Amino acid sequence: MPHSIITLMLIALLAPLVSSTVCILATRRLLFKGAGYLTTAVMAGALACSIIALFTWLGTPVDQRHALVLNIPWIPLPGFGPGHALYLGILADPLTMAMMPMVTGISTLVHIYSIGYMHGDKRYNLFFAYLSLFTFSMLGIVLANSVIMLFVFWELVGLTSYLLIGFWFEKRGPQLACKKAFVMNRIGDAGFLVGFGILFYKLGGAMLLPATADSGSMFNVLANVLAAEGHSLANPPLWLTVAGIGLFFGAIGKSAQFPLHTWLPDAMEGPTPVSSIVHSATMVAAGVYLTGRIYPILTPGAHLFISTIGLVTLVMAAFMAMVMTDIKRVLAYSTLSQLGYMVLGMGVGAWTFALFHLITHAFFKCCLFQCSGSVIHAAHHQQDMRHYGGLGKKMPITMACYAICTLAIAGASIPFTTIAMSGFFSKDGIIAGSISYGDVMAHAGYLGKLFWLGPIVIAYVTPFYMGRSFALTFLGKPRDQHLHDHAHEAPLAMWFPQVCLAIMAIASGYLGWKTLILGSEAPMLAQGVAAIIPGEVIEAHHSHGMHMTHALLLSGFGWIIALGAGILMYVPGMAISSRIVKIPGVNLLYTWALNKFYFDALYDVFTVSMGKFVAVVCAAVDKYLVDGLVNLAGSTVREIAMLSGKVDKHIVDGGVNGVAAMAQGAGDMLRSTQPGKIRIYVLMFFSSAALVTLLVVISAIALR
Amino acid sequence: MNPVFDISLHHFLIVSFALAGAGVATILTKRNAIGILIGVELLLNAAGVNFIAFNKFLWHNTTSTSTGLDGMVFTIFIIVVAAAEAAVALAIFLNFYNNFSTVDVEKADELKG
Repeated sequence: MPHSIITLMLIALLAPLVSSTVCILATRRLLFKGAGYLTTAVMAGALACSIIALFTWLGTPVDQRHALVLNIPWIPLPGFGPGHALYLGILADPLTMAMMPMVTGISTLVHIYSIGYMHGDKRYNLFFAYLSLFTFSMLGIVLANSVIMLFVFWELVGLTSYLLIGFWFEKRGPQLACKKAFVMNRIGDAGFLVGFGILFYKLGGAMLLPATADSGSMFNVLANVLAAEGHSLANPPLWLTVAGIGLFFGAIGKSAQFPLHTWLPDAMEGPTPVSSIVHSATMVAAGVYLTGRIYPILTPGAHLFISTIGLVTLVMAAFMAMVMTDIKRVLAYSTLSQLGYMVLGMGVGAWTFALFHLITHAFFKCCLFQCSGSVIHAAHHQQDMRHYGGLGKKMPITMACYAICTLAIAGASIPFTTIAMSGFFSKDGIIAGSISYGDVMAHAGYLGKLFWLGPIVIAYVTPFYMGRSFALTFLGKPRDQHLHDHAHEAPLAMWFPQVCLAIMAIASGYLGWKTLILGSEAPMLAQGVAAIIPGEVIEAHHSHGMHMTHALLLSGFGWIIALGAGILMYVPGMAISSRIVKIPGVNLLYTWALNKFYFDALYDVFTVSMGKFVAVVCAAVDKYLVDGLVNLAGSTVREIAMLSGKVDKHIVDGGVNGVAAMAQGAGDMLRSTQPGKIRIYVLMFFSSAALVTLLVVISAIALR
Repeated sequence: MNPVFDISLHHFLIVSFALAGAGVATILTKRNAIGILIGVELLLNAAGVNFIAFNKFLWHNTTSTSTGLDGMVFTIFIIVVAAAEAAVALAIFLNFYNNFSTVDVEKADELKG
């Protein structure tokens, strides 16, 4: 049994890699239209593998359901003692089991959607190759059995997201957006490496240990090592807190939390299927998943940090979502806000609900993005909701899906019953957790009430801004008649995944995902500690505030009021809101939110301008110091060359020319004796002959 | 001594010297190619006269293989060669004339560097 599960997981992991490689290597003539169908089929196969593995696992008796691991030593490191190595492999624990069908399922639906959406693109085959590679990277994170493997796939997600966000790299916007996403993620990953480095320095080779069947994931193993070395989470050394925060910084980058959140809305420049998968199953989920994995080594201080980051993101992003007019940006900020919920949930110890929210959110946010993609597709790439209005009549299926998912993200439930949308179940647990955490923190003298207030207020804001976007897009009168006339329902390949996801948005609350994740909770929470008050350790908890919030908040009429307000206010368009934002105080907040709280400007001043200043200084040093030296060397060489040139010219050449001139002079002299006149020659001949004769005669006479 | 027939080798040598002197003078003074050719012929004939004179006056038959006509034969050769040379020279002059419309040897200076 365990072997079959491991094998299935391995197939599910590697199949997308193979199909992606095939799509990249095959020529366009061989595999262009087919790339979409091939990768989609392979991804569906991976989904099937995940589901079969899940059911095989569920089929075993409860007491035998321990984590399954496959550890393959990749690079042996004998320097750290026997058995130490960098490991690759598979970890299949309940959390993995829960994540796998979600990731592969959403990826399959996004692949199908892309067949419709990317139709006619000139790099159609490459898009599917990247998409599959992206999913492969995410599956690698989910299945990673060691920190090293996790980090490798972590970076692979960063790379593939860069490729996908910048897929239309001919345009300026995607170029900048993918660069921004990549750089922001690098900053987060630098934090991750710092955390990793601290732990490696303190624990050595134990950091590289893989997951085991007994202990669970690699971070559970690490927690055991920490415990064995006598480090208590309740009374931790500072470096452990710093290491936890450092590792969490990786999640801040990937999950776009507060200081590094600015890349996510800009990543809207990518094709909409990319947005839908980045915002649901893969990239942003990776950060929350990582936080869930490192949970056993997080100290209370790290928890406070994580909760604070989550809270800030949650509140800030919700306000920005209220004022944006670009439909995809509204959804992007709502993702940020929901990720804030998840991270807050992690921070406050609502581990199960944070991951549960990750899964439910993945379905409805993916659906919302696909719907927005269909709308944009129908509206000829107009993304501004002020130009929409009344599209519901033209696109009934899309409208229905969008409505269902709006209800799901709003956490809708029928009052005083347990019948509710998926978002309700998961978000409610997080709010419950944060309320009890807030109580503990308030007791310890922190501003704990903020952990109380933030999630509850935003639980009202969420239905409001989602209602706003729904009303602006689908209800009311058409504000752009031309656009409205040309709008049409999305093709089958696009509305089919939307419908599937909408069904999952309803069903995922009931399908037992929570129970499944709870299976991983025991080892996690047994080791993890969420918060302490002096002298007393509060064990990490789940959902004991459930009933209170149930009555107090979401099961009441709160969401109906907020959602209704959002819809009614925006059915006539922006008329009412434009008056409201003129009210003093509100307009200030509006301006701030509209400018994204000036984070981009801030980063521009602090990083870009600083960078430019440093660049100018460097350029000056380069120009005057480095170039000066180089030029000095150059001119010296030049002078030497000139000198040697002169020697050459006057002495060496002079010698040669002198010889030549002598030869010429001699030639000229001799030439004058041969003027070319025959008579002269004849004269010389006969006078010479006469001379010789004379000499002979004289000598004959003399000798006689 | 018969002044008419008492002609010795000296007379012949004087004649041939005169001929040679006339030939050299002709060659030195003439610019006309034909004139120079005539001068050359005079030189050749001077040589021929010498051969005959020396054959006549200085020949002593000391060996049985000689016919005593060596100088004569040389002279005949000279006449033949002169004839051939005149033919070649005239042909060259004709060509020269065709190209330069003159037979002045001073004008034939194209090979001069």
